[in-house]
Amino acid sequence: MKKMSDLNKNIAKSMLAITAILAFSLWSCDPTIESLSYDLPDANSKVDLTPPAASFSAAVTADYLTYTFANTSISATDYSWDFGDGNTVTTKDATNTFPSVGTYTVTLTASDKLGVASIFSTDIEVVEPPTPAAIVPVIVNADFDKLPKSSGSDCACSAWINKSLGAQGESSSGNGGSDNVVKYDNDEQDLTYQEFEISPNTDYSITLVAAWKALESGTFPSQLEIRVLAGEGYVDGYTPVYYATTAEYPQEGFGYTSVAQMEDPDNNLFTQVIDHPNDTSYLTLTYSFNTGNNSSVALVMRGVGGDGTPSDDKGFLWNSGEEEIRVDSVVVEPID
Amino acid sequence: MKNIKFIIIIWLVGVISSCSEDYLNPIPSSGITSASYYTNADEVETALIAIYDGVQGVNSTRTQDLHAIQYEFYLTEMRSDNTRTKSQEGEAAQFEFYNVEATNGIVSNYYGSFFNVIMRANVVLDNLGVVTDSGTAVAFEAEAKFLRAYAYFNLVRLFGDLPLIDKVITPLDKEVQFTRQPVSAIYALIESDLETAVAGLDNGNKTRASKAAAQTLLAKVYLTHSKNYSQAQGLCEDVMESGFSLMTNFNDVFYSERNAEIIFAIGFESGLTADSQNFSAEFLNGVGRTVGVNYVTQSAATALDENGGDRTQYSYRIDPFQVSQRQSIKYLPDGKDGGADGKTFEEGDPRLAGNDWIVLRYADVLLMHVEAIMAGAADTSSSNALDSFNIIRNRAGLDDDDDGTITVEELLLERRVELAFENQRLFDLIRLGQAESVLSTFSADNGLGYSSTDLLLPIPQREINLSQGLMSQNPGY
Repeated sequence: MKKMSDLNKNIAKSMLAITAILAFSLWSCDPTIESLSYDLPDANSKVDLTPPAASFSAAVTADYLTYTFANTSISATDYSWDFGDGNTVTTKDATNTFPSVGTYTVTLTASDKLGVASIFSTDIEVVEPPTPAAIVPVIVNADFDKLPKSSGSDCACSAWINKSLGAQGESSSGNGGSDNVVKYDNDEQDLTYQEFEISPNTDYSITLVAAWKALESGTFPSQLEIRVLAGEGYVDGYTPVYYATTAEYPQEGFGYTSVAQMEDPDNNLFTQVIDHPNDTSYLTLTYSFNTGNNSSVALVMRGVGGDGTPSDDKGFLWNSGEEEIRVDSVVVEPID
Repeated sequence: MKNIKFIIIIWLVGVISSCSEDYLNPIPSSGITSASYYTNADEVETALIAIYDGVQGVNSTRTQDLHAIQYEFYLTEMRSDNTRTKSQEGEAAQFEFYNVEATNGIVSNYYGSFFNVIMRANVVLDNLGVVTDSGTAVAFEAEAKFLRAYAYFNLVRLFGDLPLIDKVITPLDKEVQFTRQPVSAIYALIESDLETAVAGLDNGNKTRASKAAAQTLLAKVYLTHSKNYSQAQGLCEDVMESGFSLMTNFNDVFYSERNAEIIFAIGFESGLTADSQNFSAEFLNGVGRTVGVNYVTQSAATALDENGGDRTQYSYRIDPFQVSQRQSIKYLPDGKDGGADGKTFEEGDPRLAGNDWIVLRYADVLLMHVEAIMAGAADTSSSNALDSFNIIRNRAGLDDDDDGTITVEELLLERRVELAFENQRLFDLIRLGQAESVLSTFSADNGLGYSSTDLLLPIPQREINLSQGLMSQNPGY
């Protein structure tokens, strides 16, 4: 029986202990107790180290009034766009068509569920894309009038001399005028050369008015050669200078300094050799070429077709044929 | 004791002369270490070849092996409107749904692969000192820099800002390894590397770097980043004068290896585990490890049907085993079509395919030439642009451009059907500024989750973790 009462006593003790623990734990869970009042749910929670940071980039579409906006905000869940033209949306990425050209301040507000917001804005300048007109080349003395040279006297060849490639052309009259054409003498090494500015990758027409003297023996008929030389092929370090008047033009030291350089097919955007037409009237000849990857070109014309033994050898390995050729004008212009 | 002086002198001499560096730090004679291996040009060349091995990647199904170029289609083509997985589920399908996770193993694999390529290139550049012949040293430098630029160009377009690693680093160089440098700094390295490559390389190779490959890649870099259109045009024109030409039959581009149209390809050899690829098998129905990936979308099929001309029949086919699906067929394993069900290969293992992966080909150059002439405008009607454009159209059996004006949309469409499933589409859309409009429409039409931040992939979470706070994640992840 003693054992029994011991057992009972132990059970009673245990019950008491359990009750005490239970009571304590219930009591301790009461959040109203002062000692626990500081342990609010917010305490020990972590500070948001990456609050929202709004940012976006804008890109114009094929329609110049419509822009797409790429949202590159971080740590944000909600977005609000204000395009500065009265339009607003709350999508993540956005597209907006502005009413007209002008400057608009586009504002993105990026926020998270804690209510923290970040604002980013950029000015968008809506402009109608210009359609750049192709440059109309400025060719000095394109009519081959008798004008002053840098070396003094007047010549139809003024602004057209490059002594590194050939001899200068000479002044003459024709096609109903006087002192108004340049001529490439028979059996000589006359050449005209001028550099001018053009638009890259654009189609240009070249129109010239030229006449040949009557055909001689026919063994070495003169041909008029036209070349458009690429600015890419200018000698290293050369920057073309475009002069306004004929008297300013030097007579050598241009972008092309040798016949071999001029004749290198890689440097020729356009090459045309016009055979003697067997017709002595002034003919209008039109060709076209593409400027390729060049913003400057040189136009070269010379008489060729000779026997290789010029009457006045200036040291170039070519010469004109048996007939004189005259050129009245040259026009280079973009094709629409 | 007189001799003590001599004894001391002899002892001193012995002490001084015995302990040279070599004696205390002997070079192991039974093994090769990276510090001692490179002693002459031949040995440096082995390191050069190893860079290509890095680009090839490992042909295996183990996720921890670096698969490099063999995984590229997941990150590029399957993130465009051209392709998707067949099953549309799993990690590989994150790309087509535009919900790629930072923990995506394919992204992490590609990132690791191409930094491995960069590391291998840096090893070559670091050991050029032992190459005594100056011509050889110049050529090695050019080749290693071409490959480093190629790797960085892929990575920077996919991930944006990146760690700039231009030398051999050790695990302790945490700052270099994990500090993301702005895209402009990465492009500066790419451009300077490619300029060195253009100057130092010759033409002739197709599966190793060449001058034309460097010129083509540099042209693409200029079009992508600095928008230096005139230089890009000049580079394209240099390549156009280097003896490449279009194959008459479009199919021959892919099935007569190293043909006249190929400028740079990653070489693979059939049947050899170490040198073959498995992407050809993955593109088919259950032939590779997957049930089929890089399957052709309705959008791409429609574009090809309407605008592909002769190219369509050689670009995709109806999956013979599952006729509601379409497979890309530019890289059928060793040219075999898999029989009646498209998945039965009686001879040879399709998972050990030898098809080279074409990185740059001449058609790309011609279309970049058009792009350079267009120079950021909405269209061009320049005759030299039309010439290049029409060569591509005529080869496909199509007439010249009908109105003589090429718009950006027309150029992008021509690139899409010409270069379909060649990992170009996504980069083309981004480069030409059309990604946002095209992909958001495609996503809306197909119920996908595209948003603008999906144009950059996440930096792999593993890198972020290893960086211990140095590396930041891209927006949207």
